[in-house]
Amino acid sequence: MNPREEKVKIITEEFTENEEHADVGRRKKNSKAQRRQRKKQPPTTDPEDMVSEKSHNGSQQEPAQEEPETHLLGMTAKRGPRSLPPIPSASRTGFAEFSMRERMREKLQAARSKAESALLQEIPIPKPRRLRSPSSRELETEFGTEPGKEVQGTQQEDSQSYSRVKFRDPVRKTKSKTQAPPGFPSAEEAYNFFTFNFDPEPEELEGKKQIKGRDGSDQEEESGEELPVQGERKWFGDDGRILALPSPIKPFSSRPPLFTPAQSIKAELETLYKKAVKYVHSSQHMIGSGDPPGNFQLDIDISGLIFTHHPCFSREHVLASKLAQLYDQYLARHQRNKAKFLTDKLQALRNAVQTGLDPEKLHQPLDTTQKTINEYKSEIRQTRKLRDAEQERDRTLLKTIIKVWKEMKSLREFQRFTNTPLKLVLKKEKVDKKADEEVYEAEIQAEIRELLEEHTEAYEQKMEEYRTSHQQWKAWKKAQRAKKKKKKQAAEEDLDEETEELPAEEGPVKPIPPEPTDPAAIEQRVRERAAHSRRRPGEPMLVPELSLAGSVTPNDQCPRVEVLRRDDVKRRSVYLKVLFNSKEVSRTVSRQLGPDFRVHFGQIFNLQIFNWPESLTLQVYETVGYSSTSLLAEVFLPIPETTVVTGRAPTEEVEFSSNQHVTLDHEGVGSGVPFSFEADGSNQLILMTSGKVSHSVAWAIGENGIPLIPPLSHQNIGCRSALKRADAISSIGTSGLTDMKKLAKWAAESKLDPNDPSNAPLMQLISVATSGESYVPDFFRLEQLQQEFNFISDEELNRSKRFRLLHLRNQEVPEFRNYKQIPAYDREIMEKIFQDYEKRLRDRNVIETKDHVDTHRAMVAKYLQQVRESVVNRFLIAKHHFLLTDLVVEEEVPNISILGTSLFKLAEQKRPLRPRRKGRKKVTAQNLSDGDIKLLVNIVRAYDIPVRKPTASKFQQPSRSSRTFSEKHVTSPSPHSPTPSADFPLSQVLVRPFVEVSFQRTICHTTTAEGPNPSWNEELELPFRAPNGDYSTASLQSVKDDVYINIFDEVVYDILEDDRERGSGIHTRIERHWLGCVKIPFSTIYFQARVDGTFKIDIPPVLLGYSKERNMFMERGFDAVRSLSDGSYITLFITIEPQLVPGESVREKFESQEDEKLLQATEKFQAECALKFPNRRCLTTVIDISGKTVFITRYLKPLNPPQELLNFYPDNQQATAELVARYVSLIPFLPDTVSFAGICDLWSTSDQFLDLLAGDEEEHAVLLCNYFLWLGKKAWLLMGSAIPEGPTAYVLTWEKNHYLIWNPCSGHFYGQFDTFCPLKSVGCLIGPDNVWFNIQQYDSPLRINFDVTKPKLWKSFFSRSLPYPGLSSVQPEELIYQRTDKAAAAELQDRIEKILKEKIMDWRPRYLTRWNRYCTSTLRHFLPLLESSQGEDVEDDHQAELLKQLGDYRLSGFPLHMPYSEVKPLIEAVYSTGVHNIDVPNVEFALAVYIHPYPKNVLSVWIYVASLVRNR
Amino acid sequence: MAEVHVIGQIMGATGFSESSLFCKWGIHTGAAWKLLSGVREGQTQVDTPQIGDMAYWSHPIDLHFATKGLQGWPRLHLQVWSQDSFGRCQLAGYGFCHVPSSPGTHRLECPTWRPLGSWREQLARAFVGGGPQLVHADTIYSGADRYRRGTWGPGAPPDHRLRP
Repeated sequence: MNPREEKVKIITEEFTENEEHADVGRRKKNSKAQRRQRKKQPPTTDPEDMVSEKSHNGSQQEPAQEEPETHLLGMTAKRGPRSLPPIPSASRTGFAEFSMRERMREKLQAARSKAESALLQEIPIPKPRRLRSPSSRELETEFGTEPGKEVQGTQQEDSQSYSRVKFRDPVRKTKSKTQAPPGFPSAEEAYNFFTFNFDPEPEELEGKKQIKGRDGSDQEEESGEELPVQGERKWFGDDGRILALPSPIKPFSSRPPLFTPAQSIKAELETLYKKAVKYVHSSQHMIGSGDPPGNFQLDIDISGLIFTHHPCFSREHVLASKLAQLYDQYLARHQRNKAKFLTDKLQALRNAVQTGLDPEKLHQPLDTTQKTINEYKSEIRQTRKLRDAEQERDRTLLKTIIKVWKEMKSLREFQRFTNTPLKLVLKKEKVDKKADEEVYEAEIQAEIRELLEEHTEAYEQKMEEYRTSHQQWKAWKKAQRAKKKKKKQAAEEDLDEETEELPAEEGPVKPIPPEPTDPAAIEQRVRERAAHSRRRPGEPMLVPELSLAGSVTPNDQCPRVEVLRRDDVKRRSVYLKVLFNSKEVSRTVSRQLGPDFRVHFGQIFNLQIFNWPESLTLQVYETVGYSSTSLLAEVFLPIPETTVVTGRAPTEEVEFSSNQHVTLDHEGVGSGVPFSFEADGSNQLILMTSGKVSHSVAWAIGENGIPLIPPLSHQNIGCRSALKRADAISSIGTSGLTDMKKLAKWAAESKLDPNDPSNAPLMQLISVATSGESYVPDFFRLEQLQQEFNFISDEELNRSKRFRLLHLRNQEVPEFRNYKQIPAYDREIMEKIFQDYEKRLRDRNVIETKDHVDTHRAMVAKYLQQVRESVVNRFLIAKHHFLLTDLVVEEEVPNISILGTSLFKLAEQKRPLRPRRKGRKKVTAQNLSDGDIKLLVNIVRAYDIPVRKPTASKFQQPSRSSRTFSEKHVTSPSPHSPTPSADFPLSQVLVRPFVEVSFQRTICHTTTAEGPNPSWNEELELPFRAPNGDYSTASLQSVKDDVYINIFDEVVYDILEDDRERGSGIHTRIERHWLGCVKIPFSTIYFQARVDGTFKIDIPPVLLGYSKERNMFMERGFDAVRSLSDGSYITLFITIEPQLVPGESVREKFESQEDEKLLQATEKFQAECALKFPNRRCLTTVIDISGKTVFITRYLKPLNPPQELLNFYPDNQQATAELVARYVSLIPFLPDTVSFAGICDLWSTSDQFLDLLAGDEEEHAVLLCNYFLWLGKKAWLLMGSAIPEGPTAYVLTWEKNHYLIWNPCSGHFYGQFDTFCPLKSVGCLIGPDNVWFNIQQYDSPLRINFDVTKPKLWKSFFSRSLPYPGLSSVQPEELIYQRTDKAAAAELQDRIEKILKEKIMDWRPRYLTRWNRYCTSTLRHFLPLLESSQGEDVEDDHQAELLKQLGDYRLSGFPLHMPYSEVKPLIEAVYSTGVHNIDVPNVEFALAVYIHPYPKNVLSVWIYVASLVRNR
Repeated sequence: MAEVHVIGQIMGATGFSESSLFCKWGIHTGAAWKLLSGVREGQTQVDTPQIGDMAYWSHPIDLHFATKGLQGWPRLHLQVWSQDSFGRCQLAGYGFCHVPSSPGTHRLECPTWRPLGSWREQLARAFVGGGPQLVHADTIYSGADRYRRGTWGPGAPPDHRLRP
C-alpha cells in the first residue's frame, strides 16, 4: 500500500467521522476557491469587493496573505487549547446587522485584548512572517498530510480563534503606538482595516510583502496547467494588444535577502568560516608528521581449494559434485527452514484475523479493525504464495537429489567401479498418518476458504465497476444513437469488440459482466497445487544424508582408462599466488591434487602493507607433472571491512572458474568440451573448470591489541582533499566500485548532485543498483565519451619513450636526474637508456652478493640504501624550498662609505708586508659545469718520515744500539752495506720522499724532497667532476670520493749492466715505495671549505725495509715534545676553487616526543650559548633515525661490551679499555652527511648502529662512551672539532688523575696535553644526565679545565632551576652479541684474497704477475700475530724472521689494516699504495689476507702486500 | 602524441581591498592529460605594493603535458589570499580560467570572487579576520553549476596574466 493511497483513505475517514474536521476542510476549500476567484480578477483591490467577499464568507480572510494563515495554524497547533476571550462569538453570529464603524471598533478591541492575552502568555515569539519558508505553504496546499491532520485535530476546538489570532501580531505592535480612545479608531486605522493591512510596518517592508504576495500568485499562475487560451474569448483586448498575462520576469529582484544560506545552498557550495590563520611553514615534508606509521597488516588465511569441476573429473565425479552441491543447498535450506517459518507466520496471521473478526474483542472502531483485517488478509495472501513457492522448491530439490543419486548408482553399476566415496542415505521419518491427514485437509480448507473470500471480494468489486461502466455505456449509447442513427449496429459491435481492451478514454465500451467464481474450480486448483508442492499426507518424511562412507574401487580392478585418469590426477598439483594490488606478494606451497579434488593449504599469510589496499587476488596455478604451470583462474577477494580483525573473520568460500578447454584421452571428461552421460551421446553437457577457495581475510591485531588497520580518513591539505572526496575511486578504493552498496553510500555521503551531467553515469549506476534490479553493468566509466575522443590509445601514450624519459627526469630518478636534451622523436631515443634503470628496479629486492662477500653485510647495505632512498625522497621537496637569497642575487648599490674605502684603497700598498687573507666569493653550485671546479692541495712539509734500512741488515740482527747517529746522516753509503754495489749507488739520503695526491683517479705528485723531514711547499691542482655532471648542492653533498695523499719514497737503482759504460752513460731505474697515506673525504673539504693543518700519516705498523728513527732524538735529548709522538706528520692545506656554498641543513623543524618545556629549554640554552661563543658546538637535541628530535642525554647509558673482549684482559682495566676502543673503531665509518646527503645528522642508537655496522663519529663515540660507562669509568661525550674531520664527537674519560681523550673512529687515545691530539676545540661535554657547555676563554683541550663541577667554567643544562627530570634512555637494556661465524670469516678471507690478486693482475696488464707462494704463506702466518698485538712492537722480529726465510730477496711491503665494510674500499686502498706499479721484470708479489672476527660480525681485515725482487 | 607546454607567470593582482596579497594556484586537467614535468600547484610570495594597488608576484609557471585527448583542457585555478599586519592569512578571492588553447602569448585576466557569508561572518571578518571559505574547493573549477552562486558577494577582480 503506497502512502498516497493511505493518505486518501485517512482523509475520507476523517470526512465521514468528524464533523468539525469536515467543517474546517470545507472552509479550507472555500479559501482556496476564493483565491482562485481572485486570481481571475484584475489585480486591483477594491475595498468594497473585499467587504462583500468577507461578509459572504463569514470569515476574515486577509486577501494577500496566505502564509500567516498557515503560520497561525502552526501556532495553535503548538499552543494547544486555551481559554477564549469573551468577544468574538457575538461578532461572528451577527455581524451583518452592525454598522461598519461598530464592527471596526469591535474588531480592534478584540484584537487588542487578544494581543494582550498573547503577551501575557509569554509565548516564544515566532519568527517574523516574511521568513516563512515555502515549505509551510505546502502545508496548507497539501491538506491532509500528517502535520496538517495534526493541526486539524487541535483546531477543531476553536475554529474561531482562527480569525482572532491573526491580529495578535500586528496589534501588539500597534498597541504601544496608538493611544486613541477605545472604540474610536483613528482614520489611519480605519484605512488600514479596509486595506486589510494591520501591519504598521515601514513602507518598504509593506511593499515587499505585497510583492511577495503577488509573487506567490504569479507562481501559481506559472505552475498552473491551464493555458490562457480560451476558445470563445477574443485574442486582443480593447487597447489592441494581445491579451496576455503580465510578464513573469520582473525588472527588479524580488527575492528577499537570504539570511539562512545553509538551507538553500547546495551542499557542495557549503562554506565554512575559517579564522585567519597564521601561516606557519608547515612541516608536512617531515618524517612521520601526519602520515600514519605504515605498519598495517592483513592476514590472509587460505585454508583450501575444492574443485567443483576439473578436467580430470570422471563422469561419476561430475555427478558427485552435483550431488554434493545439491546436498549443500539442501542443508542450507534445511537450516533456514523457510517453509516452516512461513507456515508459522501464516498460522499467526490467520489467528489474528480470527480474533479481529471476533465481535467480543472489538475495542476499536469498526473500520480500523476492518482495515487491519484487510491488511492481514493481503499479508496472508503474500505469505501463502511465498510458502507455496518455498515448499515447492524444497520438494523439487529433494527430488533432484534423489534423481542424481539414482543416476550415480546406475553409472556405478554400468562402469563397474566406484570413484567417489559418496553415499546418499534417505532416512524415512514415520508420521502419524491420521493427524497428518487432518492437518493437510485443514490447511487445504483454510486455503480454499480464503481464496473464495478473495474471489467474492474481487467479484463484487468487478460487479461494481461493471455497473458503473455499464451505466456510462448506456448513456453514451443513447447519445450515440441520437446523433448518428444511420450508423449500423453491426459496425458498432465490431468496434466494441475491437476496443474492448483499450482504456475507456476512447469512448465507452460495452462492459462485460464478470464471471461469478466457482468454488469447485478453486478447490480443484488448490488441491492440485498442494499435491504438487506438498508432501502427501501419510507419506514418510524423507531426510537425505550424504556420507563419504562408500569405498572407492582400487586401481587394479578398474579399466585402463580409469587407471590412466587416476594417474593423471596424481601428477597434478595446485598452488595459489597471492596478489596484493596486483603484485605478487606470496604463494602457497604446491600441493598435490587428491583423488577427491580437494587441496588443503592451511596457510596464513601476513601481509605488512604500506599502500591502501585496492585489490586482493588469488591466482590458481596448476602444474601437470614436470611441465610448466598454467594459470587456471583468478579469484578476487574483497578487502575486509575495518571491523573485521583476525579471529573474528569467518572462513568464506569464493568460487572461481576458468575458461580453458581441455580434452583428455582418458576417462576424465575434460573441460569446456561437450560430453554426455547417455550412451548415444545425446543430452550433451559442457562443464568448465571451476572450484571454490575457502579463505578468510582479516586485519591483524598488533601486540598491544590495536588492530593494524590504515585509518579511513585520509587527511590531505589544500584543494586536494576536496578533490579526493569527489573522486569515487580515491575515496572508497577500487574495490568499492564493485560494491554497489558502498558506492551508493558514498554517493549519499558526498552529496552528489544527481542533476550534474558529469555525475550522470554514476547516478544511473546507483539507481540501478538500489532499485533492486539484478542487472548490474560489468563496467563503469568515470569519464564517459573520453574513449571516443581520444586520438591516441593509452598503450601508445605509455609506450612513448620520450614521455617516459621526460617523466623520469622530472621525478629525479637518479639515472636520469641531470639528463639533458631529450630528443623530440621517439626513434632518436635508444632503448638501452632504460636498461640500467629497469635492471635496478628488477633487482631492488634481490640481494647482490657479488659486491658484498658476506650476506649480512649485503643485507645491511641494501637496508642502508633503502633508508637513504626514502630519506632522500622525503627531503626532495624540502630541497625545493628556496630562500630569497637563493634566487635573487642583487649587487649592492655602492654608497658613499664604500666609495670612500675604495678611494682609500688607492693609497694602499700593492704588496703589503703583512697581507691579510681576503674572503673569496662564494659560488652557488647551479651554473657550473665540468672543469669549473678544482681541488687545490697545498703540501707544505712532513715530519718524521720513516727512513730506509740498509738491506745489508739481513746478515746481522739489527739492533737499536747498533744504529748510530752517523748511520742516519752520513751522505756516504751505509757502512753496514757489505758491498758498495748497485743497491745503494745513489743513496746519499736515507729517504727521498714525494707526495702523490690522487682524487677521482687523477694523480698529481710533487717533486722529490730529501730527508725524513722534507719540505715541499707545492700546490697541486686536481680537477673535480661531479657525478653525472650534476653540480647541484644535493649531488655535491653526496660525493663519496676521498682524497688520498700518499707519501712515497723514491728509490733510484743503478741497473747499468756493464761497469765499463759507467763513465759515459747512466742507466737507473726509479722505484717508489709506499710509506703511508692520509685520506680526507671530499665531503669534509666541501663542508669546511678548507682543510688546514698537520695530519698524522697513516703508516702501516710494519714497513719492510724502513724504520722510524724514533729513539734517535731521545738519545740526543732533542725536542722532547716531538718524541712523544710515534707517527709521521704532514702539513696540508686543501681547498676548492672556486669556493662552493655548502648546502644548508634542512630548514624545517622536526617533530618530537619530548616534553614541550624541555624543548623550549634546549632552544633557550642553545641560543644563550650561541650568543656567547658562536663557534663552539653546542648540542642538546639530535634527530634519531626515524626523524624525531630526541634529547641527547638519552643516548648515553651504560651498555655491556662483548664478553669476549672483557675476558681478554680480566685484570687489566686499561688494556680492556683499549681493546674496547679498538673494537668500536673496527666498525666501519660511514659519514651521515654522505649517506643522507647533507640533510641532517641522524643519530642511531647503539643497537641500531651495531646492526647496521656503519655509522659516523657520533655513533662510534656514543657506543664507546656507553662501554666506558659500563666499565665503571667516568666518561663523557665530547663535542668539538678536530682535524681532519671537522665537527666531531670524541670521548673523554677520567683516569685516576688525568683525562684521556679517545678518538672513537681510530681507537687511539691521547692525554689532555698531547700536542698531536687531533682534537682542536671543545664545545660541550655530554654525560648521561647533563650537558655542559664550555664557557672558558679557550677551547683547545690543552688549555682548558675539564672539571665540570665548576659552574664558572662549564655551563650546565640541568641546574637547580631546571632539575634533571630523569629522562629514560632510548638505548636498549642490554646489547646482545652473536658470535661471528669463524668459517664464514675464513671463507670471506679467501675470497678477498682471490679478488685482490685478480685485481693486481688486472692493474698490470703489460706485465706478468708472479706470486711468491712461500712469501705469501709466511706473511699469512704473521698477520694473526699483528692482530693480537694490534700492530705494535712486532716489526723488528718480524723483519728479521722474514729476512731469514727469504734470504735473497729485496723485499718491500706492508700490512694494511682496515675495518671491513665492503670489498671496494679494500681494493681502493691496495690500489692507492701503488704496489702494482713496480715494473722490474723479475718482480714477484706476495699477498695475504687475514680476517679476525669479532662479535656481532665486526671484522678486522689485514692485508699484507709485498713485492719481492731477487737480488742478483 | 600531443604535448602542451604551459609557460607563463602569474603577474599580480589588483583591485582587492586588502593590500598584502599572495596567491595559491593550481592547474587542473582531465584524466587524459599526463604531467610530464613541472609543478602542478604552488604558491607565490606575499607582495605588499608600495606604489599603486597592483600586487606583483611574477610567479613562474612551467608545465609540460602530454595528452591523448582534448577533453579536460588545463584550467588554472587561483586563490588569492591576503595577509594582515599580524601575519595571519585569509581568503580574498577564488578564481579560475582556462589556459588559452591557441599558442602564443596571452594576457589573461581572471575575475575572482569570494563568499560573503552571513552578516555575522562579515562582521567577524571585518574585525577579527578570517572569513567563509568553500568546504569543497573543487567546485571552483569543476562544477557545472557555478551559476548558483549568484547570491554571493563578488570579490574584486584581480589581474592574473598568464603567458602560455
